[in-house]
Amino acid sequence: MDGSVTLDRIVMRFGDFTAIEPTRLTIESGEFFSFLGPSGCGKTTLLNIVSGFLSPSEGQVYIGGEPMVGVPVNRRPTAMIFQNLALFPLMSVYQNIEFGLEVRGMEKRARRQRSDELLELVALSGSGDKPISALSGGQKQRVAIARALAVEPRVLLLDEPLSALDLKLRQHMRNELKAIQRKTGITFIYITHDQGEALAMSDRVAVMSAGRIQQVADPETLYHRPGTGFVAAFVGENNRLPGIVVEVTETLVTLEVAGLGRLTGRAGQAALAVGQRAALYVRPEQLLLLDETAAGTAAPATLEAEVESVNFEGAWRMLEARLSATGERLRILLGQGGDSRQSLAPGAHGRFGYDPQQAIVLADDDSPRLDAETGEVVSGQPRERSHAASA
Amino acid sequence: MLRQLRARFGGPVAMAIVGLLCIWLIAMVVLPQLQMIDYSLRPNLLPAEQGGPRDHWSLTNYATLFDNRIHLAIFFKTLWSSVLVTVLTLLVSYPIAYYLAKIATPGQAALCLLLLIIPFWINEILRTFSWFIILAFRGPLNELLLTLGLIERPVRFLNGDAGVLVGMVYAYILFMIFPLYNAIESLDGNQVRAARDLGAGTLRTHWRIVIPHAKPGIATGCIMTFMLAAGSYAVPALLGSPGSRWFTQIIYNWFFEGGDWNQGAAYAFLLLVLCIGFMSLVMRLFKVGLADIAK
Amino acid sequence: MSAQRFLDWGLRLYIGVFFVYLFLPLVIMGAATFNDSRFPTITPWRGATLKWFAELAGDAGMWAALGNSLLVAIGVLCLAVPIGVACALFLTTVESRAKPFVYGLILSPLLTPGVIIGISTLIFWRQFGVAGGTLLTVLGQTTFISAYVMLMVMARLQRFDRTLERAALDLGASPWQAFRRVLLPFLKPAILSAAVIAFLQSFENYNTSLFVVGYDTTLTVYIASKVRTGLTPAVNALGLILILITVALAVGYEIKRRREARMRPPLA
Repeated sequence: MDGSVTLDRIVMRFGDFTAIEPTRLTIESGEFFSFLGPSGCGKTTLLNIVSGFLSPSEGQVYIGGEPMVGVPVNRRPTAMIFQNLALFPLMSVYQNIEFGLEVRGMEKRARRQRSDELLELVALSGSGDKPISALSGGQKQRVAIARALAVEPRVLLLDEPLSALDLKLRQHMRNELKAIQRKTGITFIYITHDQGEALAMSDRVAVMSAGRIQQVADPETLYHRPGTGFVAAFVGENNRLPGIVVEVTETLVTLEVAGLGRLTGRAGQAALAVGQRAALYVRPEQLLLLDETAAGTAAPATLEAEVESVNFEGAWRMLEARLSATGERLRILLGQGGDSRQSLAPGAHGRFGYDPQQAIVLADDDSPRLDAETGEVVSGQPRERSHAASA
Repeated sequence: MLRQLRARFGGPVAMAIVGLLCIWLIAMVVLPQLQMIDYSLRPNLLPAEQGGPRDHWSLTNYATLFDNRIHLAIFFKTLWSSVLVTVLTLLVSYPIAYYLAKIATPGQAALCLLLLIIPFWINEILRTFSWFIILAFRGPLNELLLTLGLIERPVRFLNGDAGVLVGMVYAYILFMIFPLYNAIESLDGNQVRAARDLGAGTLRTHWRIVIPHAKPGIATGCIMTFMLAAGSYAVPALLGSPGSRWFTQIIYNWFFEGGDWNQGAAYAFLLLVLCIGFMSLVMRLFKVGLADIAK
Repeated sequence: MSAQRFLDWGLRLYIGVFFVYLFLPLVIMGAATFNDSRFPTITPWRGATLKWFAELAGDAGMWAALGNSLLVAIGVLCLAVPIGVACALFLTTVESRAKPFVYGLILSPLLTPGVIIGISTLIFWRQFGVAGGTLLTVLGQTTFISAYVMLMVMARLQRFDRTLERAALDLGASPWQAFRRVLLPFLKPAILSAAVIAFLQSFENYNTSLFVVGYDTTLTVYIASKVRTGLTPAVNALGLILILITVALAVGYEIKRRREARMRPPLA
């Protein structure tokens, strides 16, 4: 059963607003694939195009090699798990799971057998006659999965299905979803704005922003080798230090950063040229507190900052600091041992260093950026929607 | 329009929806009204003369009202009395609605609402009839007043407009209380407490906080009450006397005693215009739209 | 705070007086049924009797009117419920610039005096040779009762989560199957309530019926004519019976509605 999904030059427009810029992508059969992006980035639109709730303005969708544009929702080999689950509140667990089989005209005994198998798969055996209102959040989640699997879809679409659960349950359900995906071998397409979910479960992740896929890669690559500034900022925490490229060697790039001097990092993209605007990204866990006594020694680069607050988070501490030279925010992650606690009090000055091999330089492009203070997306360039809104 | 319906319900159901909607709107709502207006513009002719040279539009039927001083007086009395009924009903209802929405405990409110709903479902005729018994010349009210020594001989309550007013307030009060209650209920109690806290007295709190919030409910209640009062036939027929006739009674007489439907249609249309006029005035005064009223 | 206390007590007293005002007339009317007096009153009291119930039972005109009322109410039910549901579905589905206009049209019968609806119905159907009678009463009442049904069904429809329909389609249901299996069961309680209320509205209607009943008098019109001509406490007996039935229905309906409100499954 071929569950591959190909988006061939998909474009989606709503009036003047382009929700999906031209997109090409192939999701392999049996893959756990995630679309990760902030709200409004177009990921849900893409999901609706695959499921058939929306028809793309241009392009074609292939599922298992068959063109899907024009095929109505109820005839596509997909099943969706909705954000609010959309379980039928007036039906029992059995009736929910068997709904898709019943409308296909499957005979009652076969239906019951199939739903019993599915209840076992999602560890809910014996709950078939319960009304939906009698289930806990996690149990509802499982019923929704069973209901979607009942129709034997080739592709399962999941629209942020875990967002309503509390933290513990969410982490548990991640493992369970992954296990079910392995067991069934069905292609899973998962939509989320939660990078933790996307990185933990997926074989590959597409990071989306402003209707455009920024990078498609496996989770490790996304984290360690982000392809664009947006990905660097959106996936994991990152400190961004913008400047002008002054020197390019085979693997390293040096930037002149106003107020901080020259900073060097690994080249994240091939085509960086001297004189170009770029930014150095260094993750909080790559910043090291330099010993006072070591001052003046040849650290590859040092950043001086004033600590504003120290947030104790159990296994680590996160420092919120401001660069003394520019006043820009710097976040530093410190492990439990080693560092002197004295120097970490708010108000203290510290000098931080990093290994250039662990920092990455990416060109400043026009893709949206995250606000350093709030973590919200700020547009790199006004999109069509803001034109429409101001018009 | 049909496309959206088809996408949601499929072809047959979409067709059924549009079919039912159109048949009802056209054959029961719009065309009868238009036909009534058409009727009101034509003279009352024998069947043989219809479509003949005398069958043309004119405003003669409307002129009749303005030439007939008695009918005109009744028209304005109906207008004035209906406004009076509306204002009285509003005054009587407001404390009740406020109590139910903001002061009563949930249990008390539930009980009171049930008690309010019961008479709401009882026939307007029967509710009016009960006042007929009370206000009768030898009825319990006169008996009570005589016993108390407040009057020396029985009063003819059913002889003037007073009985009609009392009966109408009684008959339509629930159409005022329920919209008022719904509107006040949605007010956040903290706003009232905050106003109190800031030193506003009871009156000022109501005038500045509660009443502005309850505007859509007040508007709905007033529109419904006015419409029911102006269009009432049963109450004046049962509690009124020949000297206190209502405009609806004149209309009825044109139809079933005068036998001049065209004339009756003109009067009916004027009544409709009166109600629409009142409704537009209230909606403008309270700055509310149709969507607020249907809540 | 004695002024506040005074106000609170004043309000309590007012509420008490109000409910007396609301119920006393009905009690007095009921009591008059049992007074052995030719005219319906409780003063003077001439001794208890049940003879007015017997007289009512022998009143052929009353029975005919009751039959007519039931016939009309059933007819209205059959027309107004589908029409009201269709209007509600239309208004919650269609997004168009014409919608506020259509909405206004649908609501207009509720804001039109009942006598005018009666009159326009009478005039409109005259050209097709339909004179006042049971059929015309059904048509006239349906005109405005449909709008009541629409409002009640609409209130529930607005709470419907349309993702449920999408889920049904996604699981392979046709639009018709999604409608019948998901939306209709959700609407069922509202449709039943609307049916009860449509029935009561029809049964009690006077203003519209007055113009369109012709010779097929309905019970309400019959009572009104009795009050004006040939008034005896038999009218009270009829009123008392109707009130008791209505109270039983109203209380039953309310209890059912509240139980449903309590048991309503939380909509995600």
